[in-house]
Amino acid sequence: MASYIARRLFYGLLLMVGVVVLNFLLIRLAPGDPAEVIAGEMGGATAEVLAAIRANYGLDKPLLTQLWIYITQIAQGDLGLSYFFDQPVSKLIGERIGATILLVLTAQFAAVFIGTTLGVLAARKPNGLLSGFVSVFATVGYAVPVFWTGIMLIILFASVIPIFPVEGMMDIRLRNADFLTKAVNVLYHLVLPAFTLAVIYLALYARLARASMLEVLGADYVRTARAKGASERSVLFRHALRNAALPILTVAGLQFGSLISGALLVETVFNWPGMGRLAFDSILRRDYPTLLGVLIIASACVVIANLLTDLSYRLADPRLKKEDEG
Amino acid sequence: MSALLEIENLRVDFATRYGPVTALNGVSLAVEPGETLGVVGESGCGKSITALSVMGLIPQPPGRIVEGSIRLADEELIGASGRRLRQLRGGEVAMIFQEPMTSLNPVFTAGDQIAEAIMLHQKVSRDEALKQAVALLDRVGIPEPDVRAKNYPHQLSGGMRQRVMIAMAVSCRPRILIADEPTTALDVTVQAQIFDLLNEIQRDFDAAIVLITHDMGAIAEMADRVAVMYAGRVVEQGSADAVLDEPKHPYARGLIACIPALGKEDGDGRPPPLAEIPGVVPPLHLLGEGCAFAERCPHRFQRCDRETPLLAGTAQHPAACHAVAEGRL
Amino acid sequence: MSEAAESPLLEAWRMFRRNWPAMAGLAILSVIILVTFYGAFLYQGDPYEIVWAPHEPPGVAPEFPLGTDYLGRDIVAGMLTGGAPTLAVGASAAVITMIIGILLGALAGFFGGWVDNLLMRVAEFFQVLPALIFAMVLVTLFSPSLTTIAFAIGVVSWPQTARLTRAEFLKIKQVEYVTAARAIGAGNLRIMWRVILPNALPPLIVSATLTVGVAILFEAGLSFLGLGDPNTMSWGLMIGANRDYILDAWWPVTFPGLAIFLTVFSVSLIGDGLNDAFNPKLRER
Repeated sequence: MASYIARRLFYGLLLMVGVVVLNFLLIRLAPGDPAEVIAGEMGGATAEVLAAIRANYGLDKPLLTQLWIYITQIAQGDLGLSYFFDQPVSKLIGERIGATILLVLTAQFAAVFIGTTLGVLAARKPNGLLSGFVSVFATVGYAVPVFWTGIMLIILFASVIPIFPVEGMMDIRLRNADFLTKAVNVLYHLVLPAFTLAVIYLALYARLARASMLEVLGADYVRTARAKGASERSVLFRHALRNAALPILTVAGLQFGSLISGALLVETVFNWPGMGRLAFDSILRRDYPTLLGVLIIASACVVIANLLTDLSYRLADPRLKKEDEG
Repeated sequence: MSALLEIENLRVDFATRYGPVTALNGVSLAVEPGETLGVVGESGCGKSITALSVMGLIPQPPGRIVEGSIRLADEELIGASGRRLRQLRGGEVAMIFQEPMTSLNPVFTAGDQIAEAIMLHQKVSRDEALKQAVALLDRVGIPEPDVRAKNYPHQLSGGMRQRVMIAMAVSCRPRILIADEPTTALDVTVQAQIFDLLNEIQRDFDAAIVLITHDMGAIAEMADRVAVMYAGRVVEQGSADAVLDEPKHPYARGLIACIPALGKEDGDGRPPPLAEIPGVVPPLHLLGEGCAFAERCPHRFQRCDRETPLLAGTAQHPAACHAVAEGRL
Repeated sequence: MSEAAESPLLEAWRMFRRNWPAMAGLAILSVIILVTFYGAFLYQGDPYEIVWAPHEPPGVAPEFPLGTDYLGRDIVAGMLTGGAPTLAVGASAAVITMIIGILLGALAGFFGGWVDNLLMRVAEFFQVLPALIFAMVLVTLFSPSLTTIAFAIGVVSWPQTARLTRAEFLKIKQVEYVTAARAIGAGNLRIMWRVILPNALPPLIVSATLTVGVAILFEAGLSFLGLGDPNTMSWGLMIGANRDYILDAWWPVTFPGLAIFLTVFSVSLIGDGLNDAFNPKLRER
């Protein structure tokens, strides 16, 4: 198992190097002088600033040297300087990545648990009402633009049923309150954005869970469990679900790239102070270092998420574990 | 003494896209304590459905028990509560299935699965159940049982998996063990071992065995009595010796004739060509008024197309055939 | 007893016809395409023109049945003209995705070995990049024209199609390969394209409808963020432009969103119908 982890980490690292190289190429491929691209069009790039950029990134040196400089900078955590905010990009992202991760993880876990439950219940009566609802919900949930859902929810909860806050992550007035109060307030603010993001995936997992359960319930070993005298509940949750959950885990693990993209839209709609919002704002300001920094960090998040999913999948399915045992 | 298991006039219908189809049409069987009843017939004749009905494992849509009775030691099973059926399953009546490769849950160890069977019917702790599981693995002839108990199904061979299934089935000393084609999916050498094991188990646990198979050789080896099924009905019954040596129903005769005989030669010194029963089992939804076997029967006459034959003749060795009843054979 | 063999396409169409949600989807999509066509080529109104007071609710002024937005622009005009870019970008992005995906997936599945390994690593690389962010970067660095957007979506979405194609080719290669190789003698690769690819089409067609849906949503998202072509009105742009005023006027954002939803919904109903039509056995569960 340890060697497997090492291999996967190394591979993830290679992927990240690829992302960095891609970033590097994109700046160079964009029309215009790379130094001006990096400086952005705000802040009136003076000759001094441009010269500083050229020196910092080694833009007058050969291409490969530039690449090496760039890679080493990033490896040390230097994602460049945001000329708009006049702050290191890594600091900007660091302040906001927590909010995005909170949003994404909450949405994902809610979607997996609620979706799987719905799917399992629907599988018990494949022609029943719940099963039909799951089918319809799955198609509808996927077709709705996530930012539109968010907007509709804001309209609903701001004017019609004002129970959840529709903006931001925390009430500013509480900034000096104790941790528990702040945490509760954040959770309160988290409900609508997380729900908006979760709906799409909830539909996906419910449909997948139902299909997976139906397939597993038809398997021979489920018949054996019944022949042993196991109760229906034990058959459903212990025997069937353990097997049916595996494909759900695989699919869920692959959604993180999509979740982060969706989070960007949700953060914009709800003014949630995350990485996605930062990326969007930096586009308006032509703040490319920040934008590309977000790309790198977001990609890193996806790589890590993939690795963790892969590991948990290997732990959950004994058929895969066997490669490491004797 | 009444039989341990009595199936009387069992009729089971299935709802299909062609309309309702009768899978079992008035099946009656009896199993005495400690004996081995062989149920033989081609695929689709209803032998597995009979077994599943006894276990209460027929999915009730699309299946439906239309009429009949299944009595285990005088207790009626049809209509019994779900709880009672679950108590009996794995406890008094156990079943092993055809495909050992897929009949074990891939995410639990062999020991866990046997222990679960034990804990479902006896009030013992998990540790105690696991200990019993290891002992059972030993009893069914698996070497290094304590190691194997921790193995997952994919780490075991087909023969070993079937032994695990047998261990699971006999863990609570069932009075009846239903074996549905237990060796069909296994190598020939392993088959013999499994049959030996079943015989031992029967002696040690004093259990009755219902052996469902299409292999006449297995019947010859293991069965005390035989029931031959075709298209959802029992067409001949009797002691194994009687049915094998003097089969009455043309289908049974055909089956026995189909057994390849080693050592025989015809006039040219070559072994005789393999016998076969021409035709195929008719689709159940297309069965008409007469005998279901009529199309393939060399002794067919008018009455066969008009009237379904019922079991008739001696009480020990009845057959459902007009030709036999009228002495034409 | 034998049944006359029907062409599999005809059989699939008959199954599709019986599937009423799929036919409903087809009907809805046809209406949307017709309306969009009208809006793109025949309609004379200008969605950018300020025609009335801002935030006129729907159903109040008879000339503006859907009301006006925050600048006083006609929402009906926006709806009619906004469909074309959305559908055009969605469709062309899907086409680009399919072309790249099928090509690379076929190569990977057919040749296997290092080609497969290399291509799958590349696919994995593109899947690691969060799609929207990457598309945003591309659109920002290179001008935000409709073509760029279509390409950006295509570049980001092809891996999934490639994996599906690869799986199909791997599967069919085993089945058809022997027969084809014998019939042709010296395995002509081009004929492999003609043998394997047509058999791989059913799941690819279903996947194509999925891709169209995703592409439309993607384009809507980019337009919403203001990254679409600023000279072309699209439904996503309408939602994004009116974003700051949703608490004052719900209609400028609701109707375009409904339009996007209906389009993607009808496409996915068709996709489901196609899926059932090609796989009748799975339906019987």
